[in-house]
Amino acid sequence: MRMLRTIAAFSMIAAVCGSAAAEDKPVYGVLMKTLSNPFWGAMELGVKEAAAEKGVDYYLQAVESDQAAESQLNVCNTMLERKPLVMITASINSTNLLPCLKRANEANIKVVDLDGNLDPEIAKKAGVAITFSIGSDNEAAGAKGADFVASKLGKDAKGPVLVIEGLSGNITGQKRARGFANRLKEVAPGLEIVASLPGDWDRGKAANIANDVLTQHPDLKAIFAANDGMALGAVESVFAAGKGDQIVTVGVDGNSDAVKAIKAGRLTASVAQLPYLVGKQAVEKVAGNLKGEAVEPFIYVPTLVLTKDLLDAGTDPQLKFVK
Amino acid sequence: MTPDTVLLKISGVQKHFGAVHVLRGVDLQVAPGEVIGFVGDNGAGKSTLMKTITGIYRADAGSVLMNGDDITHLVPGQRRSLGIEMIYQDLALARQQDVSSNIFLGREPVKRAFGFLPGFVDKAKMDAEAQKMIDRLGARIPSIHRPVGMFSGGQQQTVAIARALTFNPKLVIMDEPTAALAVREVESVLNLIRQMRQEGIAVILISHRLNDVFEVTDRIVVLRQGQVVADLPTAQTKMAEVVSYIVGAH
Amino acid sequence: MRSEMTAPARTWRRLQFFFETKLHVRMESLVVLLIFCAVMTWLSPFFLSRSNFANILLATSTIGVLAIGATMIIASAGLDLSLGSMLGLAGVVGAAVAVKLELPSIFAVLGCLGAGALAGFVNGILITRLRIPAFIVTLGMLGIARGLALIIADGKVIYGLPDAVVYLGQGRPLPDLPMPVIIFIAVAVVAHYILAYTRFGKHTLAIGDNEGAARATGIPVERMRLYLYTISGLCAGLAGMLFMARVNSGDPTAGIGYELTAITAAIIGGTNLFGGRGSILGAIVGALIMGVLQNGLNLMAVQSYYQQMAIGAVLILAVYIDQFQVQRGRKP
Repeated sequence: MRMLRTIAAFSMIAAVCGSAAAEDKPVYGVLMKTLSNPFWGAMELGVKEAAAEKGVDYYLQAVESDQAAESQLNVCNTMLERKPLVMITASINSTNLLPCLKRANEANIKVVDLDGNLDPEIAKKAGVAITFSIGSDNEAAGAKGADFVASKLGKDAKGPVLVIEGLSGNITGQKRARGFANRLKEVAPGLEIVASLPGDWDRGKAANIANDVLTQHPDLKAIFAANDGMALGAVESVFAAGKGDQIVTVGVDGNSDAVKAIKAGRLTASVAQLPYLVGKQAVEKVAGNLKGEAVEPFIYVPTLVLTKDLLDAGTDPQLKFVK
Repeated sequence: MTPDTVLLKISGVQKHFGAVHVLRGVDLQVAPGEVIGFVGDNGAGKSTLMKTITGIYRADAGSVLMNGDDITHLVPGQRRSLGIEMIYQDLALARQQDVSSNIFLGREPVKRAFGFLPGFVDKAKMDAEAQKMIDRLGARIPSIHRPVGMFSGGQQQTVAIARALTFNPKLVIMDEPTAALAVREVESVLNLIRQMRQEGIAVILISHRLNDVFEVTDRIVVLRQGQVVADLPTAQTKMAEVVSYIVGAH
Repeated sequence: MRSEMTAPARTWRRLQFFFETKLHVRMESLVVLLIFCAVMTWLSPFFLSRSNFANILLATSTIGVLAIGATMIIASAGLDLSLGSMLGLAGVVGAAVAVKLELPSIFAVLGCLGAGALAGFVNGILITRLRIPAFIVTLGMLGIARGLALIIADGKVIYGLPDAVVYLGQGRPLPDLPMPVIIFIAVAVVAHYILAYTRFGKHTLAIGDNEGAARATGIPVERMRLYLYTISGLCAGLAGMLFMARVNSGDPTAGIGYELTAITAAIIGGTNLFGGRGSILGAIVGALIMGVLQNGLNLMAVQSYYQQMAIGAVLILAVYIDQFQVQRGRKP
């Protein structure tokens, strides 16, 4: 009896915390990786505001870490049960959600690849049809990072550079690192990438990597990290070694932590991904597509290099998309 | 005692644990149906010697013969099948298992489930036999299906005794069987020992309670510091003499 | 005590007795599962459907297979903290065999099972021969197996598994009966039979209940422990194969944290953490209780953080109920 009461009480709490879908409005399902990175928080905000504008309802889920591949698949399957019109997903790796997305196809649920996490080749081979893929052009973002480093250090600069990659095998991280490396060769051939190591999107790992490489190369000139979390980890190691003003540090994402760090003069720059815009446009475009509007298969949301000067001036029009 | 009426013969058995010599050459003989009282102070080596008989310990020197066959190197399971059983001081029961599971522990009967699935433990047969044995011992156990951990001390001991008796043992070693029992329960254990003697089962009774020893045994063997210091027919000795052997005052 | 019971209480007791002695599963666990299902049906209109139940079973398959291994180990008063890491290692080995060595699918499957069994065997040897405590050995193997998985996969995810392997994880012989569920149920039935109805199972429980008694009755304790840890590794290998086939990749990070979930499932299902009492069917029910909880909360879009809290609460509740019954004289 006591147990029954406890379960009932907990269910009440759970029901209050959750959100039941309204039957009359169209419903979208949104599946993210994890909510712990503010990047995804900004994306959710974009989704929320666009959904309100377009008059659609949505339910959003995430899993406990950005490595929980099977959990995310299980959640995806469960989300299909509610028969949304669209599944907007940011998959943890290139294949883990494909079985679920295939079933979505079969149930005539549109599939949107959020933030370009799916490899289009692999998806095609598995027979999964993606309505469109929206995200930042990650290669272009990496390239912008290289442009910034070259602009800061000069085209003729010489010296070692560290690249901290994302989660191994993750296509987003690969593109950013590749974009940076290719561009750096073009604009500042004197700068040599002495190490390109996976930081697994983890702040602590990135800090350790930066530490180790700094020890080996005390004359390190720049560090490029494939996301802000890792960049901030590297920044800690740089300042701990007393080289805060000697090393250019660049992250990618432009999340709120990075913005604070740039304003405080610790992180040099971040290639802001405008995740708010990604989320917003994902919902806008798919709402339009459902009404019959055509949509391009790959939608690239522009990026913006955030620096202290830019943030202090506050006049750039794209800043309003940085949340 | 003539050679062909010797059931168990222990010669020169030694056992040490590291630098500690617990048994320093023990000789002992047991005839079929004989009840031997095995006494000695704490640390004399009584438990160790018993475990050497049941096979949990292997003797470092000397031999253990059963009906003339050398069993010194056999493992406990093999010695049980030769008819050596022991009822341990802590009873050695699986407290979350029921009565029949404990009685048949290690030698559960098997059959083929549905005619073809192998290795299926024949619970029905186990339960029937267990119930028979419990009834034979005249014990009052609420249900043979309950986990034995729920029984009283005396009831648990009945299960341990049943386990020792179910497979027609030739020798049963009882380690302090009456230590924690009420008066009436003690009497039933002593009666049981008498009954076992009648059925030709040899008993080695380890006990601190010399009154009990004097009541049911044929011989009393005293162990002191790892050696047998006295081997006396019960009828020809008195408690004071036995005590003096135990403490070494003889 | 019996004379104080009312008629419904007596019927309850009789049912309990039947479930425990004949089916070897605790009735309370089944009742809790039914209650959770009822609550979820009430809270979400999407819960009660064949496809959703298929989802629950599918989501529970990997953990369920792992919980089978965990139950056998815990029932024998052992502990295996390396289950999740062995799962990850097995998946990576299988994927590497198929993709890097380009061997036929059967070898990928054997690779998974073999890697798991070998890791479990190593655990067993260290525990039984070198007498290192199981906590330490399996904690070490947790790190070693995970590191080995990352080395073999070079820190990356291995893509490109052959169709036959993928079918094991994603195939649906019947629309609402996915392959992993079939494999899971088959293994569960066999394992339940072994633990509940065979000598091996009885001896496993005896070792966990009173190792001294088991030894005294001639049960080969060290040999049994070696078998059990190897079986546990084999289960981890199979779970690793299911994971790999479901997500169609050899993921070196697969299974992180899964060992705790598997142990939780076993305990919710009535396995005594200190050994001597355990049921495979119980562990399955425990895993399903967690699966229903997560599925229901997912359907209501409750965030995963609350789900973690809910599962922790259920675990404590389950053990409390167990203790409660001990105090009322129901079990030892």
